[in-house]
Amino acid sequence: MPTPYLVIDGLTKVYERGQVHALRGLSFSIEKGEFLVVIGLSGSGKSTLLRCINRLIEPTEGKIWLDGTDVARLSAKRMRRVRRRIGMIFQQFNLVDRATTVRNVLTGRLGYMPGWRSLLGLFSSQDKRTALANLERVGLRDKAYARVDELSGGQRQRVGIARALMQKPEILLADEPVSALDPATSHSIMQYLEQMNRQDGVTVIASLHFLSLARRYGTRIIALKDGQLVFDGPPKTIDNAKFKEIYGEDAEEVEVR
Amino acid sequence: MSPTPGGAGAPRDRLKVLCRRAFSFLLDWMAWGYVAYCAMYLLNYYWYTVHVDWWGTLTLPSWGWPVVILVTLELAVWCRSLGRSLGQRAIGVALRPVAGERIRLGQRVLRGFLWHLSVLLAPVWIARGEEPLHDRLARVGLRTETPDPERPGRRAILTQWGFFALFLGALTMCVGWLIIGINLQVLIRRAPQAGRIWGEMLRPDFRYFTAPDPVFHLRALSYSILDLTVVTVFMALVATVLGGVMAFPLSFLGARNVMGFSPAGWATYGVIRGFFNVFRSIETIIWASIFAIWVGYGTVLAGILALTIHTIAALGKLYSEQVEGVSPGPLEAVWAAGGSRIQVVRHAVIPQVLPSFWAFTLYRWDINVRMATVIALVGGGGIGDMLFYYKNQGDWSKVGAVVMVIVAVVWAMDYISGRLRERIA
Repeated sequence: MPTPYLVIDGLTKVYERGQVHALRGLSFSIEKGEFLVVIGLSGSGKSTLLRCINRLIEPTEGKIWLDGTDVARLSAKRMRRVRRRIGMIFQQFNLVDRATTVRNVLTGRLGYMPGWRSLLGLFSSQDKRTALANLERVGLRDKAYARVDELSGGQRQRVGIARALMQKPEILLADEPVSALDPATSHSIMQYLEQMNRQDGVTVIASLHFLSLARRYGTRIIALKDGQLVFDGPPKTIDNAKFKEIYGEDAEEVEVR
Repeated sequence: MSPTPGGAGAPRDRLKVLCRRAFSFLLDWMAWGYVAYCAMYLLNYYWYTVHVDWWGTLTLPSWGWPVVILVTLELAVWCRSLGRSLGQRAIGVALRPVAGERIRLGQRVLRGFLWHLSVLLAPVWIARGEEPLHDRLARVGLRTETPDPERPGRRAILTQWGFFALFLGALTMCVGWLIIGINLQVLIRRAPQAGRIWGEMLRPDFRYFTAPDPVFHLRALSYSILDLTVVTVFMALVATVLGGVMAFPLSFLGARNVMGFSPAGWATYGVIRGFFNVFRSIETIIWASIFAIWVGYGTVLAGILALTIHTIAALGKLYSEQVEGVSPGPLEAVWAAGGSRIQVVRHAVIPQVLPSFWAFTLYRWDINVRMATVIALVGGGGIGDMLFYYKNQGDWSKVGAVVMVIVAVVWAMDYISGRLRERIA
């Protein structure tokens, strides 16, 4: 029997000397090529979950099987090799504002470079060509040598996507990728993620705030509440009652068109 | 964080409350102790300076100290019971009634008297998470004072703690003025002598601007103002470059966010930060006097070493504060892409801090030029060597010439580095 691509087993994260439980024994699994959307209120543990998968945050307990290896137990050195296969984009884009676009995109390649070359900033011409090609793909070839602080929010997130593409990732973690963007730009960003998912076969795990976006782009939705799984299923099966359970009684659904 | 009736809270929290209340009480007591010290100083001052009784000695009787201690204690206690004391303000608490809106004067007075009965056991009650007896019997308690968002607070000067703080400030000013004992009359009285010096300095003697002054031949030195000015500027330049180059790698080792939270990281951070703080608090002029003995009095090398050491420590601290202030996002992104610690520094930290590093370094060059003009006073070499020689000879017109050149150079450096820093920022 083939095991699923990513298995989360009893994942627990406790912050501040046992005061805050961000994740409480979370378990689920993902097949290769899925577009998984994680929804839930602020503070429900979405960001912690995503950051545990690539160990930007150390899980307190539990196992994370990625393609047959337990990521939660790897040494720091071997974890870095695994992280190369895991792309990530962020709510606040996490770009160096005063560097050029192409410089930022090239940092996606650092995991593959030997120490001394990266210390001198000597990216290979192959990498530079790939960086420009990836910028072309997200429609920012003309901004390659512009400084990032001259770009708009949507453009910055596209730079973030190009940076993740540099890793040739098998899996992409998107931590609220559109929360800082307006609705029209949000759709354009989500379409790039969809394209990566469909064309390149990248497994995507994205946390989102808007249920309408989750329904439109996700192949499957999980919902977190206080660090626990309260829903897991295809987008169509979230009805009004489920919605109230996830977001609380007073919540009202907001549509992003 | 005040003890609530019913003994709630973890032992750790209760101990914290006890420590805070003890601190608050000691602060009030020490404040009144300080007032007592000032009062005694003023009495002394009156006795020996105004009243002038050189033969009648003024000493504190043997029972004086216990009395001072008890009186200050009483004053602190009544301040804490009758209003909101400075110590209570410092930890953000105020006396509140257990029931009702306002606290009656009777309750406050009762608490003051009861305090004397229960003070020794009060720490025990607080440590157990209960109110001390004097608070319980007077039906009051120290509660966290949060500002009422609906009503404006009282003006600080109209409150007890505000008035007391102002009183302490004014008292310090008065006593401080008497302690340093300066006399501004000399400024006027000795104006004619100063006038002569100013007059000579304003008629500067530029004879030895380019030609070496023969008075230094005795020391086998060929000093002209221009030569030494160039030497001074380059001393500052070399020291700044050397200091900056050495501070650059050290600053990352002295930054919390780069070093991480492993024991080795903490140790390195502590050692580097300690080095910065200690070496920075020893002024350049002290370093110069040390190196003057070490490598030769009046040598340029002594000056450069002194400037470099202080520059490493000062720039190192400024640099590492910049490193600690970088936005953490890009660091996270490089980690996520599989980068190592050194790649995080190179590709996420350095691009963010480099402009401010340049600005600080230029600013430091500016400071070093100014420092380089005076370190000759303790044997550090440079233009100051001429300046202090002429000053000791009373050759004020030559002093005037050197000072004018220094002013011109410092002003030019200040202007240039200011303009460059504007461009960078």
